Amino acid sequence: MYLPERYEFFCPVKINSGKRALEQLPFELDALNARKPLVIAGNDAGEKGLVGVIIDAFKDSGLAIGIHDGVPSAPDLRLIRELFNIYRDRGHDALIAIGGGSAADTAKVLNIAVSGKPEDIEGCAGENLIKKPLKPLIIVPTTAGTGYEVSKYAFFAGRDYASHFLMPNLAVIDPRMTIPEDAVTTAAAALIALTHAAEAYTGAGKNPLADAYAYTAIQLIMENLVNVIGDQRDKNGRLSLANANALAGCAFSNVALGVAHKLGKVMGDLCGLPPGLCMGMLLPRVLEREMSEGGYHIADLLLPLAGFDTYASTAADMKARRAAEIIHDLLKDLSAANGGVISRIWKDIQVSEDTLQDIAQRAGVNEASFDIDGCAKILREAREGR
Amino acid sequence: MKNFREVAAGKKSLKKDYVAVMMWFMGRAIQAAAAVDMAARKEFAGMPDGFTFALSVMPNGPHMIIGKDQRGFVRYKGWDPEGKKIDLDMKIKNIEAALLLFTFQESTTLATARNRLVVDGDVAHACAVVRILDIVEVYLLPKIIAKLAVKRYPGWSFRRKYLGRMLIYVRSIFGL
Repeated sequence: MYLPERYEFFCPVKINSGKRALEQLPFELDALNARKPLVIAGNDAGEKGLVGVIIDAFKDSGLAIGIHDGVPSAPDLRLIRELFNIYRDRGHDALIAIGGGSAADTAKVLNIAVSGKPEDIEGCAGENLIKKPLKPLIIVPTTAGTGYEVSKYAFFAGRDYASHFLMPNLAVIDPRMTIPEDAVTTAAAALIALTHAAEAYTGAGKNPLADAYAYTAIQLIMENLVNVIGDQRDKNGRLSLANANALAGCAFSNVALGVAHKLGKVMGDLCGLPPGLCMGMLLPRVLEREMSEGGYHIADLLLPLAGFDTYASTAADMKARRAAEIIHDLLKDLSAANGGVISRIWKDIQVSEDTLQDIAQRAGVNEASFDIDGCAKILREAREGR
Repeated sequence: MKNFREVAAGKKSLKKDYVAVMMWFMGRAIQAAAAVDMAARKEFAGMPDGFTFALSVMPNGPHMIIGKDQRGFVRYKGWDPEGKKIDLDMKIKNIEAALLLFTFQESTTLATARNRLVVDGDVAHACAVVRILDIVEVYLLPKIIAKLAVKRYPGWSFRRKYLGRMLIYVRSIFGL
């Protein structure tokens, strides 16, 4: 067991997961001293029946709730102004975000405004610029995502925010809210979580607490992802992946961002691809590169990836290589499970040499073994399927 | 503002009524079990005379109140906690959690482990109440359902189980 000379770990988010988890909301709000929450939901939440589930969860609570179900996929400051006025004029005292990353990011940024003044939104953009605790915030994820429901990050209207005060008080993962999505979206989200967890488990910031979250996240993904891609109605599988996302998000909020994450995010943005697919494609290649540079924690990754039997039966000097192979195998299984759609996306990626260099430069990778040429080499290998 | 609306919390009357009826009958069955069953009597013997406990659903009930009087007799004291001194309040966090419990989809032990209950009072006495609830459920329910509702289904003698079941049902119906 690896114990660094010094580490920090911070995760104040309570996670409430499983059957009828939403019905605990009135109890949890009471514990947070809140009586009138404002629910913010994506503009498709109503037609998907998610708003109805929330209203039902509040029955018998005696609480009145405000519901705004008009958060678009790319919200802007006008929406924040509208929500700020509603929050202030109607006497709300807590926020509940229902939906994917855009609803969660909107709620996080709105929380900066309602906890102070609207101008703070501008002043707090950046790293650790929020100086005091915010109002109670609860996030109910409906789509597998980037761990936004537990993370300290928010991205809104071109601004990046990072602060522990942005972390919600509670994340509620209820199987009724984890709605089936198309295979590519599910795979992309799970591969982001796998990348976050694997890089937390093997990276420089590795520590025993982040390991516990990352280990469980990797296990849940390996046990459920291929099944869910094959059958989106697998409710338990979807719930497991939603838990994996939250756990990976906790680990990821406590370690430095990894190379596969940075390269995959920039590649996704520049090439118009789901960043998760890019991260998944890059992850085994980044691990192989780290392995060749003596990254010994990669061997440990084999245990959550493949289980005890494979770990025990693999020679010590082969464990790291086997871990990377298993991720390659997972990617092949994912493609097979959805009729090759994912592998076709990978094959169709048209990235010129200039774009590769651009991605490598923009990613801001600063690790010893990953200079710009090293990053470009990995991107080239991934493009050529090597 | 076109996407905004304010919603008042509705009611779950049917579910609440079902749980209230189950609690009413369970309360009377606990009173009966304290008179009929040795193990239940022993659990109550560990509680001080005058001790009152309640099983409640948050935030507004229903409630089931059981008390041990000064002479050591166990009485179902109704559903209204108003004006009663409750020494131990076991609160189920919401009506849906209560429904899982009273439709026997989840045992009391499992509901406690899953954090669906809040105990306000002495934990040792709360554990005794959970054991009493298990005993009563074994008497009241057929084995196939009771196995879901209790932690471990006991291997009672034929006499204890069926004679006890008959006595408890009769006493519960007539409130004896």
